[in-house]
Amino acid sequence: MKKISLLFLLISASLFAKINVVTSYPWLAKVVQEVGGSAVHVTALASPRMDPHFIVPKPSLIPKLSRADLLVINGAGLEIGWLPPLLKRANNANINPGRKGFADASKAVRLIDKPKTVSRAYGDVHPNGNPHFVLDPHNLIPIAKMIAGKLSRVDPANKGLYQRNLSAFLQKWRAYLKQFDGQMRSCRGLNVVQYHALYNYLLKRYGIRSLATLEPLPGISPSSKHTFEVIKIIKRNHVKKILQDPYHEKKTSRFIAQKTNAKVIVLPQDVGAVSGTKTLKNFYQSISRRLCH
Amino acid sequence: MKKIFIFSIVAANALFADSDIEELKKLVMEQQKTIQALQTRMIALEETKKTAVQSSSEKESEDKPVVAEKKQTTILASTENQVPKKKKKPKRSKENLAEEDEYAAYRTSGTSIATASSSEDNAMTESQDNTSSFDQSAFLPGIALIGNMSAVSRNISNDEYANYSIPGFFGNPGELPFNEKRGFNLNYGELEIFSTVGPYIDIFSAFHIAKDELEISELYATTRSMPYGLRLKGGKLKSEFGRINMKHQHAWEFSSIPLVFEAFFGQEGLCDEGLQLQWVAPTDFYLMAGVEMMQGSNEYSFGDTDGINSMVSYLKSAVDLGDMTTLLGGITYMQGKNGFGDTKIYGADLTLRTDFNSYSSLTWQNELLYREKPLEGGIVADQAGLYSQLIYDYNQNWSGGIRYDTIFKNVPDEPEGLDKYSAMLMYRPFEFTKLRLQYSYDKSKYFAGEQKNVQEILLDLTFEAGAHGAHAF
Repeated sequence: MKKISLLFLLISASLFAKINVVTSYPWLAKVVQEVGGSAVHVTALASPRMDPHFIVPKPSLIPKLSRADLLVINGAGLEIGWLPPLLKRANNANINPGRKGFADASKAVRLIDKPKTVSRAYGDVHPNGNPHFVLDPHNLIPIAKMIAGKLSRVDPANKGLYQRNLSAFLQKWRAYLKQFDGQMRSCRGLNVVQYHALYNYLLKRYGIRSLATLEPLPGISPSSKHTFEVIKIIKRNHVKKILQDPYHEKKTSRFIAQKTNAKVIVLPQDVGAVSGTKTLKNFYQSISRRLCH
Repeated sequence: MKKIFIFSIVAANALFADSDIEELKKLVMEQQKTIQALQTRMIALEETKKTAVQSSSEKESEDKPVVAEKKQTTILASTENQVPKKKKKPKRSKENLAEEDEYAAYRTSGTSIATASSSEDNAMTESQDNTSSFDQSAFLPGIALIGNMSAVSRNISNDEYANYSIPGFFGNPGELPFNEKRGFNLNYGELEIFSTVGPYIDIFSAFHIAKDELEISELYATTRSMPYGLRLKGGKLKSEFGRINMKHQHAWEFSSIPLVFEAFFGQEGLCDEGLQLQWVAPTDFYLMAGVEMMQGSNEYSFGDTDGINSMVSYLKSAVDLGDMTTLLGGITYMQGKNGFGDTKIYGADLTLRTDFNSYSSLTWQNELLYREKPLEGGIVADQAGLYSQLIYDYNQNWSGGIRYDTIFKNVPDEPEGLDKYSAMLMYRPFEFTKLRLQYSYDKSKYFAGEQKNVQEILLDLTFEAGAHGAHAF
């Protein structure tokens, strides 16, 4: 009994030594790990295999939140359907919105696609703008800076370490961005259609035009009428690529591909969403490879 | 005495006035300093940018802002211990730095600081639109309107059905709250209003609007900053024991409450005025304990409301069996005065849920309740029942489910094995709209000592408009 309690103490002591950071999605955890380094212990709540809008709010996620020192969310409404009840049940005052231990990545980037009028008649719109900004790797720079700032506030003792890690990451990332921009250059001017407006940040950055979404409205499953309209658009504009996320049904996009000359391209929306995308670099690498080669 | 008092007021006034002027002077001085610093910085940056543009290419737009931000932070550091109002502006410019043309952002925000401070000076000349000075519309609470309506077909006439009851259970509900009559029913509208009240309290309210009545279904305040994983809730609230009791009717999988709940607590479950304390244990797996002190106004099981007369306690835990499967279990004990003594209720619940992907899952949910209720003359009635339901969410649009209800233990001279079978098919054209077709075969109702079979088919529609929050697991 004594041994067990001693062991328990040891474990909890080693846990306390590190800052406990919880992120909503895996890619945020990767960024936190880069900036936090050895001073943080990071956990991501969502599985990358799930639709980021509809993560199952499993009770097992509650204890992770209740012991967190810092919560980093994507924001812009992406977690609205699953995180708030978990956060409420976690009874952790430190990570409530507005507290020191709460960080919203969407506040660090400039959101696009902000709707002029907001109504649910237009489907599942995000009133603050498109929340899928992770698809543009340039956005990681302001987000990493923001996370470094938050970590330094939660854990001032390691401020120097976070600053050093941040500079190292930024240097590494800028070098990688040059390489990535080069790979994406061949895609400029391409016309595509996509399942959901998931890839808009990527498309906008690299001059690719999205002519339609397979969903008639955001969050509404494809209908046959709309699908035939998409087919018409593809034929008229000689669209070659249908961008498909890994988690939705692929029947519709395959059907459209069959009726046209376009090819279905599955692009990951997060680190680990498809195989071979375990790191941030691999994740973006697989996007440029699948889309532009 | 009076004189001293007046004197002190005058003195205080003078003091305040003095310090005000001092502060303002300081503020103006500091602002001028920062403006100057920013202007010199701007000139310097413009020059460096010029030379940089000549020298080169892509990399530039990336590296520059770092320099800019570093300098920005030094400015920040020098002005850090100022009035919070001041700190905000440089911060705004810091955010803008994230943007594509960061240098331009820097310039505009720099000028915005200048214009902002000059407009502050202008404020003295009262030339502005001041109508919005006390406007609080940004603090509007979240509001949701939920409606539920149904079309019912039943093999028993309305008058006859109103006199049926579950044998051995006290009190005929008299009128059903939902799906009361054959034909069309507008069951209710529910108005939910919720908001954060301050740094320490959240408030939630649900107003149940039925024909000719408005009822406070729930209204409670919840703490948001208690330490040690604790949370306190007070007001009128739905007890959070088990699985189904805490949910409102529009969130139920079936249109009616399970039979054992109907028998023990009535059609709307256990909802009472009181205080709730919940604690989340600092463990790796989910472990939650809760205690609720209630008035005890539920007449089906308690009913003595002279004082704080009932208590509900529960323990819940969950473990993940692999990535996609969760096992959730709980135990409950409650006690409350009913006029003849203390009613004791023991409960257990078990839920097993497997998710196939984000939209499809299979959930098997069970709850068991056992009650010892003292009756007139020192007799204690032992009664127990359970329900078991299986729900299959095929995708975001379609769900189906079956439920078996039974009361398997009853008071000595009353029948046992009172069963009910239900099946439902649900279609959701959109997240916030539910259309449900439900069939139920109810063998639990008696009239004049005789068992009656009740068959019912209903179609019900639920819509949720407005700021409706996410539903829990």
